[in-house]
Amino acid sequence: MSHTPLSRRDLLKLAGTAGAAAAAAPASVVPAEAQRRPSRPAREPLRALTAHEADLLDRIAELLVPSDELGPGATEAMAVRYIDRALSGALADQRDAYRIGLEALERYARQTRGAPFLQLTETRQVSLLIDIESGTATGANVGFIGSSAQFFALMRGHVMQGTFGDPHYGGNAGFVGWELLGYPGVRTVVTPAEQKLLSPPTAVRRSAYDNPMFNKAIVDQKPAGSDRDAD
Amino acid sequence: MASVVIAVTTGGMAAAQAPATLEVTSPTLTAGQPVPRQHTADGENISPAIRWRGAPPSTRSFALVCDDPDVPMPGGFVHWVVYNIPGTASGLPENLPIDPEASMPPAIAGTVQGLSGFKRPIYRGPAPPPGKPHHYHFTVYALDVTGLPPGLTRAQLVEAMQGHIVGQGELVALYERKPPPPPGN
Amino acid sequence: MPTNLPGTDVVVIGLGAAGGVAVLPLADAGIDVVGLEAGTWLTNKDFAPDEIRNNVRDWPMAVQKCNREVPTHRLNDKAPTTRPAGHVMMNGVGGTTLHYWAQSWRLAHWDFKVVSETARRYGRSRLPAGSTVEDWPFGYEELEPYYDRVEHEIGVSGQAGNLLGTLDRRGNVFEAPRTRPYPMPPLRSTGYLDRMTAAAKALGWHPFPGPAAINSERYQGRMPCMYHGFCNRGGCHVDAKNGPNVTTIPRAQKTGRLKVVTEAHVTRIEVNDAGRVTGVTYVTGTEEFFQPAKAVLLSTYTYENTRLLLLSTSKPFPKGLSNNHGQVGRHYLSHATGASVTALFPFNLNSWYGLPAQGVAVDNWADDNFDHAGLDFIGGGNLWVYSDRRPIGAANMNTFGRAPSWGRQWKAFVKENADRVNSAYLQKTTLPYEDNYLDLDPAVKDPLGFPVCRITADFKDNERRIADFIQDKMELWYRAAGAIDIVRGPLGTMGLNTHAYGGTRMGDNPETNVVDRHGFSHEVPNLGVLGASVMGTSGAHNPTLTVQALAWRSAEHLVEHWKTIAE
Repeated sequence: MSHTPLSRRDLLKLAGTAGAAAAAAPASVVPAEAQRRPSRPAREPLRALTAHEADLLDRIAELLVPSDELGPGATEAMAVRYIDRALSGALADQRDAYRIGLEALERYARQTRGAPFLQLTETRQVSLLIDIESGTATGANVGFIGSSAQFFALMRGHVMQGTFGDPHYGGNAGFVGWELLGYPGVRTVVTPAEQKLLSPPTAVRRSAYDNPMFNKAIVDQKPAGSDRDAD
Repeated sequence: MASVVIAVTTGGMAAAQAPATLEVTSPTLTAGQPVPRQHTADGENISPAIRWRGAPPSTRSFALVCDDPDVPMPGGFVHWVVYNIPGTASGLPENLPIDPEASMPPAIAGTVQGLSGFKRPIYRGPAPPPGKPHHYHFTVYALDVTGLPPGLTRAQLVEAMQGHIVGQGELVALYERKPPPPPGN
Repeated sequence: MPTNLPGTDVVVIGLGAAGGVAVLPLADAGIDVVGLEAGTWLTNKDFAPDEIRNNVRDWPMAVQKCNREVPTHRLNDKAPTTRPAGHVMMNGVGGTTLHYWAQSWRLAHWDFKVVSETARRYGRSRLPAGSTVEDWPFGYEELEPYYDRVEHEIGVSGQAGNLLGTLDRRGNVFEAPRTRPYPMPPLRSTGYLDRMTAAAKALGWHPFPGPAAINSERYQGRMPCMYHGFCNRGGCHVDAKNGPNVTTIPRAQKTGRLKVVTEAHVTRIEVNDAGRVTGVTYVTGTEEFFQPAKAVLLSTYTYENTRLLLLSTSKPFPKGLSNNHGQVGRHYLSHATGASVTALFPFNLNSWYGLPAQGVAVDNWADDNFDHAGLDFIGGGNLWVYSDRRPIGAANMNTFGRAPSWGRQWKAFVKENADRVNSAYLQKTTLPYEDNYLDLDPAVKDPLGFPVCRITADFKDNERRIADFIQDKMELWYRAAGAIDIVRGPLGTMGLNTHAYGGTRMGDNPETNVVDRHGFSHEVPNLGVLGASVMGTSGAHNPTLTVQALAWRSAEHLVEHWKTIAE
């Protein structure tokens, strides 16, 4: 499902699934929930995720680090681009965990909320993610491996890396993540004056790898977890 | 530890009498029967409507705790903590908001959800490990005080309620998850 | 069949903090050394300020040999065994000093004499039940010249607090006396550290800047620290972090006497029927070699030191090399550094830069620096405040129960508080106990088929009581500085740790110690052991400088007694 603004018909469809309270509300109330979808930069060709998986992760990332009046979030940061690149490289051994986890998430959405994840209202999506985070989305036939909390932690961790990590890895686009935190940026020299005040110095916006001295070749090296023999 | 500000009743004798017994019911929960799916993690996980009767006139607010004593930890597992429910309310509507910025329905304006065992100020329903039924105690308290601070856990709420419980009642329902079918089905 | 190599005088197994320092006095004395290191060389170009790589994906730690032989852990003999996901240390020329925090402390007088000092001051009954603690075979004075030598050889910055008995309140007034000032002044302070220093003084405590093996100014031709904020689990892009790889090892190579062999994985220490070491067997890639030597120094870090000895069985040593008295693996401990304290402040701290070694310390509650009469524990802890903050770490910050870990509320919380949270590092006295030990895991093997090390250990009452006491003090300090909320972490269990001690303890009594007062095996005359595996107490400070002082001393002993030990 793409992220073009919802039509009035879509909004009424959502109102129909939201339960008695929402149906009783005037139709103009429902759009407020649906409107919080930022305009996303165009998606680049995917390397590891399927389009549907990327759609799911885009929406989940948006809920984890939303765009709101405080500023941009994981969507503008292109956190899912980070995840896709990682799964096609250094974290390739976690690609299956995403396939299984996202399938389980979809199954759980259908079984418990009656519709695929992307068709749920935001409230239901948040409620569902809370269940997955807490490990309670582990009923019969759902299909998470072990506790659903493990998969949630994996996703959340990657969304945070994709929002706040060095842009060299594909996320933190436009440094929106570092802006959000007030992180003054990568410096290779920090002066005494820059550490003396209790307020951070002026932001510099560059990747560590904009500095030609650093060896980039090792960036994609896999953690040895994949090398270890099974115990 | 949260410091608790208590608005003291001018009624006088309320705390000295034995607490009244409240009758606690629900349009969807039945005592001794399974909790319907929509109130559990196998469904939408929305909070059930709860109703009560029999609170004494000294009641200033109500509180509600849902816990599962069958989880092997001290005090069981806490699924829901609610308090500062107006003394004029006769129940909670279904599906209290999970967004802390959303407002409560007007009939229960001022109601606060405290921290459950999931460390969130919302209702999260039964999600027991498969194999045996667990019990879910929905306990309602009538208090002669109100204005408890936000963000209390069950333990903090219980401490704040000491000496102020003028009525109490409960409804106990069950829930059981079946083990997953063996592979190959 | 392993290929036989030409013989050498000394094989040093492992070129980390300990082995990397020992090679210099040997090479300077004209002794030929082959340094066998399981890892590789890394240079400052490999150390980009990259949080994903260093702190999330744990590079370069995660790709090392030690990560394929992670020890297992159980709390006691009856408990189930678990295995951490990764090793906390790494292999490389310089070992874990390539990315460590580089705090560089001397131990206190008391750490060398816990038994006799406790008996003298409080009575023997105050020694914790079940502890196998012994006095070290020598006191601080014996080690002082080696502390001094290593501090100058590798470069340690700091402020002396006790010069030959004269106290200097700018430094640590509780420290044991030094004969010389530090070779470099301490790392600079920051606005936040100034505030914490003032708060400690207001409490009547004695705060001071901590010592670090990090250049605070140009030293030996290397750059000073740039304070850029990626020192924690990161290497130094300007070679200001002073490990052996940029100091003692290149100096030893210049003498022409040191040969460094990288990616050399030692699998056995070989002995002859007379019970003397003859050399070591190692694997590099798929080839196997036998490197003959007249003496061997084992410096592979605490877990691997024990493991390699236990794996090297032979006719004279059927229970493992130097283990006929059953002491290899015993008296193990790892530092009680858990029981954290984290504070939330109502103002920014400007904590995005700096490094863990740039901080302010309080030792008023360490060691035996305060009266323990009426208390139910011995020892204490060092309170250490520093700033160390990077973006992904900030996104995972503790929200003090004020927000969940994602969503709108979370975003608002971290936007306001990302620079308002600080955690302290609290190193506490830890003692050895009868039931804390290392051995070989009966089930889990490494990729070569050898059993991995198994840790059987947990903290005891003494450690738990110190932890509570120190958390109280740290909370007091943070609140005095304006903190509005505090979260305490649990002490945890005595699992895998970057400060691990024991397993080849040093002492005069061969019934209860593996090596003698010079670090040489009681049972195998030409085998020396370097590293914190020889230490019998932890103290309340990082082990590395003590390890390096001991290593230098052992190497010097080998030089001075070459004929009797090696020939």
